[in-house]
Amino acid sequence: MATKTLRDKYCIVGVGETEYSRGSGRTTRAMAVEAVRKAILDAGLRASDVDGMLDYQGGDSTFAPHVAPDLGIRLNFYMDVVGGGSSTEALVGLAMGAIETGMCNTVAIYRSMNGYSEFRIGGTGARAAQPVRGMDLAQVPFGMRSAGQTFAFTFMRHMHEYGTTSEQVAHVKVAHSKHASQNPKAVQKERVTVQDVVGSRWIVKPLHLLDCCLETDNATCLIVTSAERARDLRARPIYVMGVAGRVSKPRVDFHWAHGPISRVAGYYAKDIVFGQAGIRPEDVHVTGSYDAFTFTTMLQLEEYGFCKKGEGGAYVSSGIIELGGKRPNNTSGGHLCEGYTHGMSMVIENVRQLRGTVDDTCPGAAEGKHTHDYSVGKCRQVKDAEITMNLGWAMPATGSALIMRR
Amino acid sequence: MADYAKPLPEITAESKPFWDACARHELLVQKCRACGTVQYYPRGVCAACWSADVEWTPSAGRGRVYTFTVTYRTQARGFRDELPYVLAWIELEEGVQVMSNIVAVDPAKVAVGLPVRVTFDDVKEGFSIPKFTAA
Ligand SMILES: [Zn+2]
Repeated sequence: MATKTLRDKYCIVGVGETEYSRGSGRTTRAMAVEAVRKAILDAGLRASDVDGMLDYQGGDSTFAPHVAPDLGIRLNFYMDVVGGGSSTEALVGLAMGAIETGMCNTVAIYRSMNGYSEFRIGGTGARAAQPVRGMDLAQVPFGMRSAGQTFAFTFMRHMHEYGTTSEQVAHVKVAHSKHASQNPKAVQKERVTVQDVVGSRWIVKPLHLLDCCLETDNATCLIVTSAERARDLRARPIYVMGVAGRVSKPRVDFHWAHGPISRVAGYYAKDIVFGQAGIRPEDVHVTGSYDAFTFTTMLQLEEYGFCKKGEGGAYVSSGIIELGGKRPNNTSGGHLCEGYTHGMSMVIENVRQLRGTVDDTCPGAAEGKHTHDYSVGKCRQVKDAEITMNLGWAMPATGSALIMRR
Repeated sequence: MADYAKPLPEITAESKPFWDACARHELLVQKCRACGTVQYYPRGVCAACWSADVEWTPSAGRGRVYTFTVTYRTQARGFRDELPYVLAWIELEEGVQVMSNIVAVDPAKVAVGLPVRVTFDDVKEGFSIPKFTAA
C-alpha cells in the first residue's frame, strides 16, 4: 500500500524566538507571548488569522489558554501536550491534521521554558522535587535521575558493538561549535576542538561535559497553515514534504530488552517520513539531528540511512556535517551550542536555511544575500539549500522527523 | 540503617510481591502461566499474550552486564556521597533485563559482558534493594 501523504499541502510560514539566555528573569507566559508574536509578524499575519495553538511541556511551562488571550487571539482549536524532544515535528503533523479536518485554519506551535533558571533537564531545581512514580520505580532507587544517565547506556553499547569512539562523536560538538560561532543568538559561540571535548570532565561516562547540551531559558514558535494561504503571505513558504511523530521502538518503556539498545526509533520512522516525501537520504541538503548529546546526533543520522548502521562515528567525523561539507547538521549550533529548546530551534533554523535568510552577520542576510564565507563570525547560510530534514529525539526509544523543501 | 538518605520506590500493587521478596533476599521475575513468557518490570498483564495470569518466580540472580554508565556528577539525593557509581542493565540468565547498581567493583573494571550476581542492600527494617556485584 502506498504511503498516505499530504506532501506540499502545508507550509511553515512563520518562525520566532526570544533571546536564548541563562536567566531570563521572565515568566514562561511572557516569553511564549513574545515568541508567538514574533512568528506571527514574521509570517505577515494578523493575530486574528491564528485560530489554532499547540504547545508542549513537562510541567514547566504555560498553557495555550493563558498565552492566546495575551495576544488577543480567539482559538478554534488548542491542545497542551506533554513531552520533550520528539514533540516539535509531531506537533507540525498534528497542526496539519487539525487544519485538514477543518477544525481551524492556522496553528501556532510554541515551547516556552526556563530550562536554566527554573526547571533544569539535568534533574536539578524544581524538577528534582518531583515524586517517584511509574518507571522511576526501577530507576530512582539506583540513582538514575538525569537525561544523561538515561541516554548514555545506548552510547556505551554502541561503542561496544561497533567500535565507535569518544573522539569520533566529539566531532559533532566541534561542528556545532563552528556553526554557533556564526550565530549571534548562540549562548556558546567559542569553537572547540576534539581534544577540548574528550579532555572535559566526565558527567556520566561515556559522556563528557562537552558531549552534553546546554540548559537554556527561551521560547520558540512555528506557524503552520495550508499551502493555499501560505502563497499570499510575506515570507517564502516552506513546504512540508513528510512528517513522522513520536514513532517508538517496541516496548518503549523497556526498549533495551526488546531489540538492540543501539537501534533508535528512526529505524521505524524513516519509512514513514521518506515514504511521504518520496525522496531518499541522499536528496537532503541540511539535517537537524537532535543533539541533546553528541552521540544522539550520530545515532539518528545512522538510523535514518545517511550512512550505514554502525558507521555513524566515521560519518560525523568526516567533515560532512560541518558548514562547507556535503550535508551540514544543526547549522545554528543546535542544543550543544546555540541553546536548548527541546527541538524547536532546529526546525526554525532549517526554515531559515530554506528561505536563504539565516540570521548571521552577512549585511544582506535578511534579503538572502550571503557570502558563504564560513570563517569565525561570518556566514552560516548553506548554498542552494532546497531540502532539509529534522530528526527529533526525546526518550531514547522515541523519535519524530520532518522533511521540508523551499 | 536508620538514616538511609536515598530515595525509595513508591510501592504499587504490582510491585509489592517483588519488594517483599527482596526483604527476604530473593530476586523475583514475573512468568506468564498461559504462555510461559518471563518479564521484568512488574506488570498486571503478560505483554506477550495479554493473560492476566502472571506469577512470580525466583531468579537465580546471575547474569551479565548488557550496558552500563558511570555517574560522576549527580543531584540524586543520597548518591552524591558515592560518586562515581555504576548503573547497569543486567541480562539475567532467565532472559530478562533488570536495572541496578554494580557495587564493590572498581568502576574502571566494569565492562559489557561482565558476569555478575545479585546482592542485597538492607536499607531499612523490612526493606532491601537488589544490587549486583562481580560473580
Ligand atoms: Zn503470556
